[in-house]
Amino acid sequence: MGPHDSSISAAAGSTSSSSSSSACSSSTKPPQPPDQMDHLLAGAGYKVRSNDLHQVAERLHRLETVMVKSNPLEISDLVNDAVHYNPADLASWVDSLLTELNTNPPVPVPTDLSDPHPNMNNMMYATNHAPHLQQVVAQPFEEDVSIQLVHVLMTCAEAVQRGDLSLAGLLIDDLQALLGRVNSGCGIGKVGSFFVDALSRRIVNSPENAAVHSDLSAYENEILYHHYYEACPYLKFAHFTANQAILEAFEGQDCVHVIDFNLMQGLQWPALIQALALRPGGPPLLRLTGIGPPSPDGRDSLREIGLKLAELARSVNVRFAFRGVAASRLDDVKPWMLQVSPKEAIAVNSIMQLHRLLGPNSSRGPPIDLVLDWIRDLNPRILMVVEQESNHNQPEFLDRFTEALYYYSTMFDSLDVCTAQPEKALAELYIQREICNVVCCEGLVRVERHEPLVRWRERLINAGFAPLHLGSNAFKQARMLLTLFSAEGYSVEENEGCLTLGWHSRPLIAASAWQAIPKPSPTMGPIIHP
Amino acid sequence: MAGSDQINLCESKRVVPLNTWILMSNFKLAYNLLRRPDGTFNRHLAEFLDRKVPANVNPVDGVFSFDIVIDRSINLLSRIYRPAAKDSEGRVPLSTSFAQLKKPVSTSDVVVPVIIFFHGGSFAHSSANSAIYDILCRRLVGLCNAVVVSVNYRRAPENPYPSAYDDGWTALEWVNSRPWLQSKDSKVHIFLAGDSSGGNIVHQVALRAVKSGIKVLGNILLNPMFGGKTRTESEKRLDSRYFVTIQDRDWYWKAFLPEGEDRDHPACNPFGPKGACLEGIKFPKSLVVVAGLDLIQDWQLAYADGLKRAGHEVKLLYLEKATIGFYLLPNNDHFHTVMDEIHNFVTPIPDCE
Repeated sequence: MGPHDSSISAAAGSTSSSSSSSACSSSTKPPQPPDQMDHLLAGAGYKVRSNDLHQVAERLHRLETVMVKSNPLEISDLVNDAVHYNPADLASWVDSLLTELNTNPPVPVPTDLSDPHPNMNNMMYATNHAPHLQQVVAQPFEEDVSIQLVHVLMTCAEAVQRGDLSLAGLLIDDLQALLGRVNSGCGIGKVGSFFVDALSRRIVNSPENAAVHSDLSAYENEILYHHYYEACPYLKFAHFTANQAILEAFEGQDCVHVIDFNLMQGLQWPALIQALALRPGGPPLLRLTGIGPPSPDGRDSLREIGLKLAELARSVNVRFAFRGVAASRLDDVKPWMLQVSPKEAIAVNSIMQLHRLLGPNSSRGPPIDLVLDWIRDLNPRILMVVEQESNHNQPEFLDRFTEALYYYSTMFDSLDVCTAQPEKALAELYIQREICNVVCCEGLVRVERHEPLVRWRERLINAGFAPLHLGSNAFKQARMLLTLFSAEGYSVEENEGCLTLGWHSRPLIAASAWQAIPKPSPTMGPIIHP
Repeated sequence: MAGSDQINLCESKRVVPLNTWILMSNFKLAYNLLRRPDGTFNRHLAEFLDRKVPANVNPVDGVFSFDIVIDRSINLLSRIYRPAAKDSEGRVPLSTSFAQLKKPVSTSDVVVPVIIFFHGGSFAHSSANSAIYDILCRRLVGLCNAVVVSVNYRRAPENPYPSAYDDGWTALEWVNSRPWLQSKDSKVHIFLAGDSSGGNIVHQVALRAVKSGIKVLGNILLNPMFGGKTRTESEKRLDSRYFVTIQDRDWYWKAFLPEGEDRDHPACNPFGPKGACLEGIKFPKSLVVVAGLDLIQDWQLAYADGLKRAGHEVKLLYLEKATIGFYLLPNNDHFHTVMDEIHNFVTPIPDCE
């Protein structure tokens, strides 16, 4: 486990130890012979079988939560009166303490069948202290159960990563029981239930199978999206910040063309149309090309949105043209479909879309490189990128799982302050689908491959883009937007020319703007836009 | 409680290998059982639970050890670790005869450092024969081609300040006066080393050595235990997150410091308001190792800084992602980094102009 320079987000990235029999996120350790002891712990005087390390850690964690909740005076009295045996056998010693402190019995250990000493043998107490014992029953406080819940979640995810699906299945049962005892209306109960659900789907289904979660119709998807848009400020921040930057990039331009990588309901564009209408010197000719998935039910939903926007534009005297491009994947889009003209100033708008291109390579190469390449060929004045600020694309499942747990629990915390229904409930369902994709899916089907800003910066610079800095006016206006929300917890931060929106100092969404550095032509040097 | 707060509680598991986590968590929980809220300590249970190993005059991996009483009046024991001498065929013999225990350590012109080691345990826990420290001392022998003297100093709360320091001083005087520990120049080449409370003891013993004229060649402080009355930023930020709490630190200081004294006592806070001035004295060079996830790091960094400002040579090794106890198991990069640094620190550099 070397000192590593991971990002500042709360979850650590993957760690690997240099030379040990067990590492904290190891999935590839070969199964040890049943009696093999961890030799490092043995050197320190503790006999723990290598295969039992996870279970022992589990019990230690349980013991801690019980001790944290119990009265220290009572613990110390109780323990002082008890007789302890064989502390080298760590598993049994911890079990005996747990038993003494009257907690839930430990998760059954499938491998530990040959243990000749049942748990109780490690501790005996004088009978006249039995009544004293009764007084020390640890009440399962909300907090205690919540901590257990998180810990069993991680343990279950570890088991999934190791391929130990039978243990994982047992832990799911444990998790369901814990969920039953915790407040499922908020906090860890709420977000925890989504992760338990996701894990159990993954255990039951093959992750490459797209039917891991029931597919919603496009219409149902739009409903969820709309309520997510209303319940919390993340999408609004994305749209708002993007529009600011696009407006600035279009200054002085008479013909402008916005290419939206995911039109959805076009919620971003009315504000831009109105801002252009009010522009000093008058509005430009605005073309909007909206990309979206083809509608299966014969509706041309792209065209419908286009018509609504056209009507709005007409009402504010902005000359407007719309074109819809139906594509299930961004890398299916060919530049000629966008019909750009050399006279126009182009803005490419990607709100939470680029990460979908980080999946397995197609026959033509990495999808992200292909798409960034043709974006660059369009020579846009601005490429606006908004992405989730988290690393849900790490190669190891447990790392993704843990990072997602941090990320979405923070997002759910922020949602807690929203009281409007059904916005809140449907927003949660929207987020749940993301969680499911991160946790349950693999391969082509896993599209929620979020990566943090530092990585997007590298990628975009390598792909021939230069940063356009979002300035203090964008910052100030984003903050003013937030005052429309009563919640105090949101924070906008500036990060080397980019803006992030987060909850309680944990950034959740990052917005950055870029311009293409034109490819040098053989006859002329590169031309940089002023 | 917010969902994200719950998840933060599982952080320690993510930054150390699983077996380390088990070891440190076990200590944390067991130690919790031993400290009583009224300030007394369950010494019987502590000794029962502590995993100990006997000394072994038969070399294991080229190192043998034996215990010696260095002060009968207080039963002060030390465990001596020595490299096994190879026989005429270059092999390490299977056993060491009694006569060889105190054979002169230096048989050639090569200088043999003698490292006086003070184990950790926050002044209350562990012993020179604790398994974790026995392993560490054995490793130091091979690493530094040194003799290691691990001092079984008296512990709090039964023996508070200044017992541990007195015992450290006794050991230093004893080591300095053993002819068989001398190198060919008829001097004992002494280094002081310690982790946690042991690091704190190193500082105090070195200070006393300066006043008494015994030459100490260098101090090695691994995650040394210092503190102070105020709550620093690192204490607040890291409280309870990586096996240690402010509450337990307070308990140990209360158990060690004299009755009625607070944590600005110079034993706890050597560069604090009641600290002594260290300028102008011949203090040994120091290697100070600080773990980035140790909640008392602000005090440790202040210590290193205090030494520097007083004009003394300090090498500060800050290991950003290390927790306490990282040096107990050789399963992480920090361990190897620190071992290399210790080797370089102790190995005499050939004279060059």
